[in-house]
Amino acid sequence: MSRLLLPTLLLLLCGVSLMVGASQMSWSALLSASDDAWLTLTASRLPRLAALVLTGVGLSICGVILQQIVRNRFVEPATCGGLDAAKLGILVALTVLPGAGATGRMLFALVFCLLASLAYVAIIRRIRFTNLVLVPVIGLMYGSVLSAIAEFHAYRHNILQSMQGWLLGDFSRVIEGNYEIIYLILPIVVLTYLYAQRFTVLGMGEGMATSLGLNYAATAILGLVLVAVTVSATVITVGAIPFVGLVVPNLVALRYGENLKRTLPIVAMCGAALLLACDILGRLLIHPYEVPIGLTAGSVGGVLFLVLILWKCK
Amino acid sequence: MITLEHLHKAYGDKTVLEDVSLAFPAGQVTSLIGPNGAGKSTLLMCMARLLPASRGRILLDGQDIGRIAIADYARRVATLRQVLDFNLRLTVEDLVAFGRFPYSRGLLTADDHQVIDESLDFLGLQALRRAYLDELSGGQRQMAFLAMTIAQRTDLLLLDEPLNNLDMKHAVQIMQAIRRLCDEQGRTVILVVHDINFAANYSDHVVAMKQGAVHSHGPVAEVVTEANLRALFGLAFEILPSAQGFVCNYFNPSLSRELV
Amino acid sequence: MMRRAAWLLLPALVLAFLLLGSGLDFNYVIPKRLVRLGAIVVAGVCIALSSVIFQTLAGNRVLTPAIMGYEGIYLLFQAVLVLWLGTGSVARLGAQGNALLSMALMLGYSWLLQRWLLREGRGDVYRLLLLGLVLTMVLGTFTQFIQLKTSPGEFSILQSLGYTSFNRAQPAQVLYSGLLVAAVAVLVARGTRVLDVLALGRDQAIALGLDHGRCLRLQMALIAVLVAVSTSLVGPTAFMGVFVANIAYALARSARHQVTLPLACAVAIGMFLLAQLLVEHLFNYRTSVSILVNLVCGAYFLALMVRTRGTP
Repeated sequence: MSRLLLPTLLLLLCGVSLMVGASQMSWSALLSASDDAWLTLTASRLPRLAALVLTGVGLSICGVILQQIVRNRFVEPATCGGLDAAKLGILVALTVLPGAGATGRMLFALVFCLLASLAYVAIIRRIRFTNLVLVPVIGLMYGSVLSAIAEFHAYRHNILQSMQGWLLGDFSRVIEGNYEIIYLILPIVVLTYLYAQRFTVLGMGEGMATSLGLNYAATAILGLVLVAVTVSATVITVGAIPFVGLVVPNLVALRYGENLKRTLPIVAMCGAALLLACDILGRLLIHPYEVPIGLTAGSVGGVLFLVLILWKCK
Repeated sequence: MITLEHLHKAYGDKTVLEDVSLAFPAGQVTSLIGPNGAGKSTLLMCMARLLPASRGRILLDGQDIGRIAIADYARRVATLRQVLDFNLRLTVEDLVAFGRFPYSRGLLTADDHQVIDESLDFLGLQALRRAYLDELSGGQRQMAFLAMTIAQRTDLLLLDEPLNNLDMKHAVQIMQAIRRLCDEQGRTVILVVHDINFAANYSDHVVAMKQGAVHSHGPVAEVVTEANLRALFGLAFEILPSAQGFVCNYFNPSLSRELV
Repeated sequence: MMRRAAWLLLPALVLAFLLLGSGLDFNYVIPKRLVRLGAIVVAGVCIALSSVIFQTLAGNRVLTPAIMGYEGIYLLFQAVLVLWLGTGSVARLGAQGNALLSMALMLGYSWLLQRWLLREGRGDVYRLLLLGLVLTMVLGTFTQFIQLKTSPGEFSILQSLGYTSFNRAQPAQVLYSGLLVAAVAVLVARGTRVLDVLALGRDQAIALGLDHGRCLRLQMALIAVLVAVSTSLVGPTAFMGVFVANIAYALARSARHQVTLPLACAVAIGMFLLAQLLVEHLFNYRTSVSILVNLVCGAYFLALMVRTRGTP
């Protein structure tokens, strides 16, 4: 019963997501093969659905990987500086190589994100007496320093105003032809699933992992690369969406435990479902305009995060 | 002096103190002993007005303490809780001066300076008076806090585990100081102690608590007996008299006694 | 030694701020700068006093009002005000009306926090810190959401409120704020000894005869007023309070509020002046005070967190 509940819910949300939008679209129009309806579907609705699902899956899996590497349940791209580093990377790309296309900018974002998360992991490992909340606190501070650097840089190049606009997560720009980078998340998901066992072992700490014959450093770096690719791909196509990677794995772990092999598919589905729900909400709130998903997911995720903090660290 | 009448304290439906009625003798040192969670510290906190009691009354010289203004209370009862990680950058002298706050609200008079001096003398802290608290050892810091409490010049002192985390030398120094406070200055001291031997050798009166209620109380000789301690702690005890006092051995009491 | 240097540096910064590149124009440039100087002094005092007092009450050196959500609430309130009333009505409400409303709001928030701090006692600092940081982010998201629904003109007004700046303060507002803050400062100055006792913690404060609950309520009310004034005068300052307070502690070499409070004020004012001077003369307006303050204080806070290594 509960096994089928989640996939059903997900499918339902996908269906609703296809139906809702600025222009009315009915299934009857589709069935009668109206060209307009088909165009809306293939050029805008389907790409958007794909981007939403992939982003949701990717971000929540990123959260899981980071949580295993840092061994802290409150770590995710937004609380380890990765998200802010990716933004900074795009900004630098825009000023250093104004001609670079989306791919070039993504490479910058990727490199910055990877370096920033490596530095973060190094800092956290140097601190001997950490606790559950100190680690994300340091990550948030680190992120705000990175974004202060980004603002400094943007202000000098007069792109501060526009930067704030386009770095906010927003799926309304997703149309056929400018979102395909997001498909990079697919192989990442597959790789993560294949390596799930290793990431679980990684989460037991360096000593345990090594004694179980795992190359700790290599696995951790692989994990960070997977995260960097996902984060940069989502930031470049839809913008920053905080807290999804944090909230979803935590809520799933509450109900299903932490064996990754078993919970990864559930985490992935829940991530997609959460983003779809937030997106539908954003499209309905001030219809026919829409609220960027960075705001809806940010609010929902942030409030859930607050609840988790209040509840989990009693 | 201070008396308790049918004192109850509960958190939600968890009862911590149940119908405690006691009269603490004036001018004596009383130790509160008992296993962890017996309610000793809670009892002390209620007397210090740091925790409100759920039911019952606490009387100081016949007056309900709830009716005494908190500023007046601080001139009659001084409290010292366990000093945890304390990292304020204050000198020992600064700290002891706080003991005069109930009298002068921080503007020190010549009288206050004299009391501060005497308190420092009393505990032999003159050499450390300009040292910063965060540079002292745990034992020295505890002495400084005790000096502050002494500087309050109250008839009654309430000390919550003053020996916690101290090495043997500092623990003995503190207990000797408490003894002298009582003998030389006629003050009443009520303290929570974990070490049964300190309680037995340095106090006049002992209150034994168990599961939120008074298990037994009275002069040391009446309470600190092998049978009573066994009932209190659920451990076999062997009390060994010596010329200076006596030692309660619960580490390896002889087998025959354990079988009794 | 360091302390004396700090005190000597301040007049030098003030003079540099007033005169550097002014062409000694006493009719226009310098009066303008005096107004800005007024805003800097008033806001600096507000930030310094509120941060140090808040840290004393909370019993640690990392939490400040700005981090615990005061500024986020203020900005959200401004956005809601504009959305409901429109800029026209907000203008009719006047700076004073708005300031009074904001102050009432801050007092309410202070009251809530104080109840909570009282109840939880000196709980896990980092948990409170994380709560504050996330709360600020969430409030920021709500504010952005409301901004979406405002007109472009209102949007840009609201957006400018989100940055530290000394240029929007009007002379009258600086004057009123200055008088109010002076009154608060007198109250604070008279209570430094009580603050010293409060720093020992609730239990010790009660044992020394303080009505802890009442003192806490009074101090939290003062904090609310100070934060409302500084935020409406120069905008949010995020981590600046942490920086100011900790530098003051380091310079003071004493935890007595008689020493730390004035020093913190000097550090805050000096920091603002320095940032403004750098923006004007080194960066030629190619950066802003807000960004400089965020960068320096954010980095300092990060270093503080990493250095403490999990021991508060």
